[in-house]
Amino acid sequence: MSAAVRIQIEDFSQDDEIDAMRGSSKRIGGIATFLGCARDFSEGREVSEISFEAYGSMALAEMNALRSEAIEKFALIDARIVHRIGTVKGGDNIVFIAAGAEHRAAAFDACRWLIDELKARVPIWKKEITPEGDSWVVPHP
Amino acid sequence: MIKVLFFGPVAERAGCNSLVVEYRAGLRLQALRDELAAQYAPAFALVCFVAVNGAQVHDLAQPLADGSEVAFMAKFSGG
Repeated sequence: MSAAVRIQIEDFSQDDEIDAMRGSSKRIGGIATFLGCARDFSEGREVSEISFEAYGSMALAEMNALRSEAIEKFALIDARIVHRIGTVKGGDNIVFIAAGAEHRAAAFDACRWLIDELKARVPIWKKEITPEGDSWVVPHP
Repeated sequence: MIKVLFFGPVAERAGCNSLVVEYRAGLRLQALRDELAAQYAPAFALVCFVAVNGAQVHDLAQPLADGSEVAFMAKFSGG
Protein backbone atom coordinates (compact mmCIF):
# COMPACT_ATOMS: atom_id res chain seq x y z
CA MET A 1 0.00 0.00 0.00
CA SER A 2 1.25 3.52 -0.78
CA ALA A 3 2.27 5.81 2.07
CA ALA A 4 -0.46 7.95 3.66
CA VAL A 5 1.56 11.12 3.06
CA ARG A 6 3.28 11.64 -0.27
CA ILE A 7 4.74 14.25 -2.61
CA GLN A 8 4.85 12.99 -6.17
CA ILE A 9 5.07 14.08 -9.78
CA GLU A 10 2.55 11.57 -11.08
CA ASP A 11 -1.22 11.87 -10.78
CA PHE A 12 -3.11 10.11 -7.99
CA SER A 13 -6.41 8.25 -7.82
CA GLN A 14 -8.98 9.46 -5.31
CA ASP A 15 -10.57 6.00 -5.36
CA ASP A 16 -7.25 4.34 -4.51
CA GLU A 17 -6.65 6.77 -1.64
CA ILE A 18 -10.14 6.22 -0.22
CA ASP A 19 -9.83 2.45 -0.63
CA ALA A 20 -6.55 2.56 1.28
CA MET A 21 -8.20 4.52 4.06
CA ARG A 22 -11.19 2.21 4.23
CA GLY A 23 -8.84 -0.72 4.39
CA SER A 24 -7.07 0.74 7.40
CA SER A 25 -10.05 0.39 9.77
CA LYS A 26 -13.71 -0.61 9.87
CA ARG A 27 -14.36 1.87 12.70
CA ILE A 28 -14.45 4.73 10.19
CA GLY A 29 -18.00 6.09 9.84
CA GLY A 30 -17.24 9.14 7.69
CA ILE A 31 -14.54 10.22 5.26
CA ALA A 32 -14.30 13.88 4.21
CA THR A 33 -12.10 14.67 1.23
CA PHE A 34 -10.67 17.75 -0.44
CA LEU A 35 -9.42 17.75 -4.01
CA GLY A 36 -7.46 20.76 -5.19
CA CYS A 37 -7.25 21.08 -8.96
CA ALA A 38 -5.55 23.41 -11.42
CA ARG A 39 -7.59 26.30 -12.79
CA ASP A 40 -7.01 27.49 -16.34
CA PHE A 41 -7.87 31.08 -15.41
CA SER A 42 -6.46 33.25 -12.63
CA GLU A 43 -6.40 36.97 -11.87
CA GLY A 44 -8.04 37.78 -15.20
CA ARG A 45 -5.74 35.80 -17.47
CA GLU A 46 -5.56 32.37 -19.02
CA VAL A 47 -3.25 29.88 -17.34
CA SER A 48 -1.92 27.11 -19.56
CA GLU A 49 0.12 25.24 -16.94
CA ILE A 50 1.05 25.43 -13.28
CA SER A 51 4.48 24.41 -12.06
CA PHE A 52 5.07 23.34 -8.44
CA GLU A 53 8.38 23.33 -6.61
CA ALA A 54 8.89 22.01 -3.07
CA TYR A 55 11.56 21.96 -0.41
CA GLY A 56 11.02 18.22 -0.54
CA SER A 57 12.43 16.95 2.74
CA MET A 58 10.89 19.75 4.82
CA ALA A 59 7.57 19.61 2.97
CA LEU A 60 7.21 15.88 3.52
CA ALA A 61 8.16 16.18 7.20
CA GLU A 62 5.67 19.01 7.68
CA MET A 63 2.89 17.08 5.92
CA ASN A 64 3.56 14.07 8.17
CA ALA A 65 3.46 16.37 11.21
CA LEU A 66 0.15 17.81 9.99
CA ARG A 67 -1.31 14.33 9.64
CA SER A 68 -0.23 13.39 13.16
CA GLU A 69 -1.55 16.65 14.59
CA ALA A 70 -4.91 16.24 12.82
CA ILE A 71 -5.30 12.66 14.07
CA GLU A 72 -4.64 13.86 17.62
CA LYS A 73 -6.65 17.11 17.44
CA PHE A 74 -9.79 15.68 15.80
CA ALA A 75 -9.56 12.08 17.07
CA LEU A 76 -9.31 10.83 13.49
CA ILE A 77 -8.89 7.17 12.74
CA ASP A 78 -6.81 7.88 9.65
CA ALA A 79 -5.75 10.72 7.33
CA ARG A 80 -4.06 10.87 3.96
CA ILE A 81 -2.35 13.79 2.19
CA VAL A 82 -0.98 13.69 -1.37
CA HIS A 83 0.51 16.71 -3.17
CA ARG A 84 1.86 16.78 -6.70
CA ILE A 85 4.91 18.70 -7.84
CA GLY A 86 6.21 19.38 -11.34
CA THR A 87 3.98 20.76 -14.08
CA VAL A 88 0.21 20.25 -14.32
CA LYS A 89 -2.35 21.51 -16.83
CA GLY A 90 -5.73 23.14 -16.25
CA GLY A 91 -8.15 20.62 -14.75
CA ASP A 92 -5.41 18.33 -13.44
CA ASN A 93 -5.27 17.16 -9.83
CA ILE A 94 -2.94 19.01 -7.46
CA VAL A 95 -3.64 17.95 -3.90
CA PHE A 96 -5.81 15.38 -2.16
CA ILE A 97 -6.72 15.20 1.50
CA ALA A 98 -8.86 12.59 3.20
CA ALA A 99 -9.87 12.62 6.85
CA GLY A 100 -11.52 9.52 8.30
CA ALA A 101 -13.33 9.61 11.63
CA GLU A 102 -16.04 7.75 13.52
CA HIS A 103 -18.50 10.55 12.72
CA ARG A 104 -18.89 13.21 10.04
CA ALA A 105 -18.29 16.37 12.09
CA ALA A 106 -14.71 15.48 12.97
CA ALA A 107 -14.01 14.37 9.40
CA PHE A 108 -15.27 17.66 7.92
CA ASP A 109 -13.48 19.81 10.48
CA ALA A 110 -10.21 17.95 10.09
CA CYS A 111 -10.29 18.07 6.30
CA ARG A 112 -10.75 21.85 6.31
CA TRP A 113 -8.05 22.27 8.95
CA LEU A 114 -5.60 20.11 7.02
CA ILE A 115 -5.83 22.03 3.75
CA ASP A 116 -5.69 25.39 5.52
CA GLU A 117 -2.63 24.34 7.52
CA LEU A 118 -0.98 22.78 4.47
CA LYS A 119 -1.24 26.08 2.61
CA ALA A 120 0.26 27.97 5.54
CA ARG A 121 2.96 25.54 6.66
CA VAL A 122 4.18 23.34 3.83
CA PRO A 123 7.05 24.75 1.73
CA ILE A 124 5.65 24.40 -1.78
CA TRP A 125 5.51 27.19 -4.35
CA LYS A 126 3.54 27.46 -7.57
CA LYS A 127 4.24 29.30 -10.77
CA GLU A 128 1.51 30.06 -13.28
CA ILE A 129 2.53 29.69 -16.88
CA THR A 130 0.45 31.94 -19.15
CA PRO A 131 0.62 33.02 -22.79
CA GLU A 132 1.89 36.38 -21.50
CA GLY A 133 4.68 34.83 -19.44
CA ASP A 134 5.36 33.03 -16.16
CA SER A 135 4.80 34.34 -12.66
CA TRP A 136 5.17 32.93 -9.16
CA VAL A 137 1.94 33.09 -7.19
CA VAL A 138 1.71 35.44 -4.25
CA PRO A 139 -0.74 33.87 -1.79
CA HIS A 140 -3.94 35.55 -0.75
CA PRO A 141 -4.06 36.49 2.94
CA MET B 1 30.49 25.17 5.49
CA ILE B 2 26.87 26.35 5.46
CA LYS B 3 24.63 25.22 2.62
CA VAL B 4 22.08 27.88 1.67
CA LEU B 5 18.95 26.91 -0.27
CA PHE B 6 16.58 29.07 -2.32
CA PHE B 7 13.33 27.90 -3.88
CA GLY B 8 10.70 29.16 -6.29
CA PRO B 9 10.44 32.94 -6.50
CA VAL B 10 13.44 33.52 -4.23
CA ALA B 11 15.62 31.25 -6.38
CA GLU B 12 14.45 32.97 -9.53
CA ARG B 13 15.43 36.38 -8.21
CA ALA B 14 18.70 35.13 -6.71
CA GLY B 15 19.62 33.42 -9.95
CA CYS B 16 20.54 30.18 -8.18
CA ASN B 17 19.02 27.39 -6.09
CA SER B 18 21.85 26.96 -3.64
CA LEU B 19 25.17 28.36 -2.55
CA VAL B 20 27.83 27.63 0.02
CA VAL B 21 28.96 30.03 2.72
CA GLU B 22 32.15 29.38 4.64
CA TYR B 23 31.49 28.59 8.30
CA ARG B 24 33.09 30.70 11.00
CA ALA B 25 32.88 30.24 14.76
CA GLY B 26 30.03 32.19 16.34
CA LEU B 27 28.12 32.68 13.10
CA ARG B 28 24.49 33.43 13.82
CA LEU B 29 21.49 33.19 11.53
CA GLN B 30 20.93 36.95 11.63
CA ALA B 31 24.46 37.66 10.39
CA LEU B 32 24.10 35.14 7.57
CA ARG B 33 20.77 36.63 6.59
CA ASP B 34 22.14 40.18 6.64
CA GLU B 35 25.15 39.26 4.50
CA LEU B 36 23.08 37.44 1.91
CA ALA B 37 20.33 40.07 1.90
CA ALA B 38 22.94 42.66 0.97
CA GLN B 39 24.11 40.52 -1.96
CA TYR B 40 20.68 39.34 -3.10
CA ALA B 41 18.41 42.22 -2.13
CA PRO B 42 15.58 41.58 -4.66
CA ALA B 43 15.40 37.91 -3.61
CA PHE B 44 15.42 38.68 0.10
CA ALA B 45 12.58 41.19 -0.34
CA LEU B 46 10.41 38.07 -0.75
CA VAL B 47 11.80 36.08 2.19
CA CYS B 48 9.19 35.41 4.90
CA PHE B 49 10.43 32.16 6.44
CA VAL B 50 13.78 30.70 7.43
CA ALA B 51 14.48 27.03 8.10
CA VAL B 52 17.59 25.44 9.56
CA ASN B 53 18.07 21.76 8.78
CA GLY B 54 14.45 21.51 7.66
CA ALA B 55 12.85 23.12 10.70
CA GLN B 56 11.39 26.61 10.65
CA VAL B 57 13.28 29.06 12.88
CA HIS B 58 11.86 32.28 14.32
CA ASP B 59 14.80 33.36 16.47
CA LEU B 60 17.45 34.76 14.15
CA ALA B 61 19.86 35.02 17.07
CA GLN B 62 20.27 31.27 16.82
CA PRO B 63 23.91 30.23 16.34
CA LEU B 64 24.62 28.05 13.33
CA ALA B 65 26.60 24.83 13.46
CA ASP B 66 29.11 23.91 10.80
CA GLY B 67 27.38 21.83 8.15
CA SER B 68 23.95 23.44 8.64
CA GLU B 69 21.45 23.67 5.78
CA VAL B 70 19.67 27.02 5.78
CA ALA B 71 16.67 27.80 3.56
CA PHE B 72 15.41 31.34 2.98
CA MET B 73 11.85 31.02 1.71
CA ALA B 74 9.02 33.11 0.27
CA LYS B 75 5.47 32.72 1.50
CA PHE B 76 4.18 29.29 0.55
CA SER B 77 1.66 28.83 -2.26
CA GLY B 78 1.02 25.10 -2.44
CA GLY B 79 -2.35 23.41 -2.32
